[in-house]
Amino acid sequence: MTSNTVHRRTVLGGAAALAAGFALAGCGDSGDGDGNAPRERKKGQKIQLTFWSWVPGIDKPVDLWNRKNPEVQVKVEKVSAVNGQQYAKMHAAIKAGNPPDLGQIEFPVVPGFLLDNGLLDLAPLGAARHRNKFFGWQWQQSVFGKGVYAIPQASGPMGLFLRQDLFDKWEVRTPRTWDEYETAAKAVRKKGAWIETFAPTNGNRFSGLAWQAGAKWYGTHGDTWIVHIDDEPTRRVADYWESLVRQKLVKTIPDRQNAWYKDLQTGAIPSWVGASWGDALLVGNAPDTKGKWRAAPLPQWKAGEQAFANWGGSTTAVFAGASYPKDALDFAVWLNTDPEPIALLIDGGYGFPSAKKGYATTDLDVDKDFFGGQAYSKVFADAGAHVDTSWRWGPGVDTLYQRLGDAFTDALADGSSFRSVLTKVQRQTLADLKDKGLKAESGG
Amino acid sequence: MSRDTLSRPEPAVRKRARKDTGSRPRRASRTEARNARAAAGFVLPFLALFGLCFIAPIGYALYQSLQKTERAGPLGLGGREQETFAGLANYAHALADDRFLTGFGRVLLFGAVQIPLMIVLATALALLLESASARGVAFFRSAFFLPYGVPGVIASILWGFLYVPGISPLVKTADFVGWDVDFLSRGTVLWSIANIVTWQFTGYNMLVLIAQLKAVPGELYEAARIDGAGAWQVARHIKLPLIRPALVLTTVFSIIGTLQLFAEPMVLRPLASSIDSGFTPNLHAYSEAFVGNNQHVAAAEAVLLAVVACVLSFGFLRLAGGRAKGHR
Repeated sequence: MTSNTVHRRTVLGGAAALAAGFALAGCGDSGDGDGNAPRERKKGQKIQLTFWSWVPGIDKPVDLWNRKNPEVQVKVEKVSAVNGQQYAKMHAAIKAGNPPDLGQIEFPVVPGFLLDNGLLDLAPLGAARHRNKFFGWQWQQSVFGKGVYAIPQASGPMGLFLRQDLFDKWEVRTPRTWDEYETAAKAVRKKGAWIETFAPTNGNRFSGLAWQAGAKWYGTHGDTWIVHIDDEPTRRVADYWESLVRQKLVKTIPDRQNAWYKDLQTGAIPSWVGASWGDALLVGNAPDTKGKWRAAPLPQWKAGEQAFANWGGSTTAVFAGASYPKDALDFAVWLNTDPEPIALLIDGGYGFPSAKKGYATTDLDVDKDFFGGQAYSKVFADAGAHVDTSWRWGPGVDTLYQRLGDAFTDALADGSSFRSVLTKVQRQTLADLKDKGLKAESGG
Repeated sequence: MSRDTLSRPEPAVRKRARKDTGSRPRRASRTEARNARAAAGFVLPFLALFGLCFIAPIGYALYQSLQKTERAGPLGLGGREQETFAGLANYAHALADDRFLTGFGRVLLFGAVQIPLMIVLATALALLLESASARGVAFFRSAFFLPYGVPGVIASILWGFLYVPGISPLVKTADFVGWDVDFLSRGTVLWSIANIVTWQFTGYNMLVLIAQLKAVPGELYEAARIDGAGAWQVARHIKLPLIRPALVLTTVFSIIGTLQLFAEPMVLRPLASSIDSGFTPNLHAYSEAFVGNNQHVAAAEAVLLAVVACVLSFGFLRLAGGRAKGHR
């Protein structure tokens, strides 16, 4: 591979852009100083706010806002959500001192942005009075100390999607517990298919499964972060999936990629432990399987239990240095609580609303026909109501996911145990936090 | 490449230079000053761009690699951030990272296999296309060169489709004849990437070699033929030794390119569970910077990468140069 000019040029270009960015950041810091009283819009003054988002169909609610609020115009700039590119871009913009006013940020990465001093504390602007409009645990995901750092938008309660037609044909019962799930996996394997894939690089889902089992990966004690990834519930989850992998009952291909979609289309993988927003993915990528899917509650560790978890979900955050914070907050609250934008967002398929009111569960059954007429959102609504609400995120979750992915990749390749993955990632995460200049301790 | 072929007509340049010095006695100082000014006029824009786009980022990376961020405030959130001098801590951090070092080992293995293979292939193609009896030379030259025109990212996506089971016609065909093949497994993925790289750059290297072959004076071939040399002997004893500079050049470029391996693993990563975040040193630095937000460590890694690339390419030049002298 001779003269990799393309690479070299990109890398250099990137470096130059970064350099310029850092230089700007320097100027910005000295300019703002500490006494940055939020700017307020004068009556009748026209302003424009920029909003970085990747949510499908976000334009429609924003257009609605712009029609209703001629003075505060919001401009959407689409960012790519592939491989976390949107966050790389946002972090770079923060470093460069020119972030947008508002941004779409998932729950797990909120603390990471706080570490960068990237988000505006909305509490002084009176954000707390909106608290009761949202599900408490979701509101709590972006509250640290007395600060409120983002307005929740949507969540992703987890459940089990399955091909009812194939399960019926193969005489496999819908599993209600993880034991039954393993039995089902064996039955499905006998028919030449795989019940699932355990995607080693999907830390997001793994954390959801640990969450369901009762894990608490992050906590705080005074000004110290407590990390507890290598705990009993997580070990149970790791052991369980390791056993499925070693028995060759599950594939280990990456999920939400072409090969996986192909398997969903052909029935080679007839089920998916997913989240509420997964309906849109199935509809979009396996259209020919219309009417054959159903949603079922996530299998439980003990029969009759009601333990659920959340995968994904995001917030609308206001970046530090937003030009008109008060108006940005008003927009964020309107977007995520007013029935009109919620209806438009639901049409776009954005997940499960964080707002308590302004929609009915039936509104969410956008693709009812695809699920054979099942009121499938009820399944996720029930799951959402039973999510363990004490789960918290810490800084550097992107790195944590990467660490998990790398370690699971190694474990699959060299046959080391999934428990050793947890030990390793626990150690690395502590080191990562300390490297960032934080106080961190191992939990329990 | 072009530099090398351009430097061929050197004698002519030298002649002209001599003519210039001939007019010297008359208005030496004034002409010289004007020349110097003109030269500066031509060189300055280059120097400015060179400084801005090349020296400054490197300097900044060096500076960043010696800094660290300190945080204060409750839980480290929302508090003050301060950049302080870190000494060589970031370098120590990078060098203590198994994954980073493994990545280096991986690209070195990659280079040791892929570069010789590609250079041999490119040389063979160049010699075949430049042999007297070759037909359709122009067509084949373009055809072999074409993959170079495909950006690395696109090439990786393209090959990605040919590697992913369930979609790939290659895998399907292999399955059909009973060969269980997985292009993306831990053991094979590096070579699947080598295949992409070879596909992309063989034609380019071939063109460099052809350019040099074209510069070989025809009389040499005539003389050889009169002496009774066959096609093989001409290739072995005349063509190969004479395109040596081009071979050295393409190899050095390939060494640098190998260390920069990035786009291919980056694009294939979501498709293959076997590529980790530190698959190549470049990917590792990227992950540090844009996933972990550790720009300082990433800067240190980038500097280390540059140093290794320097050492290896100059080392190779040294080796090649030394051997050449020995031959003479």
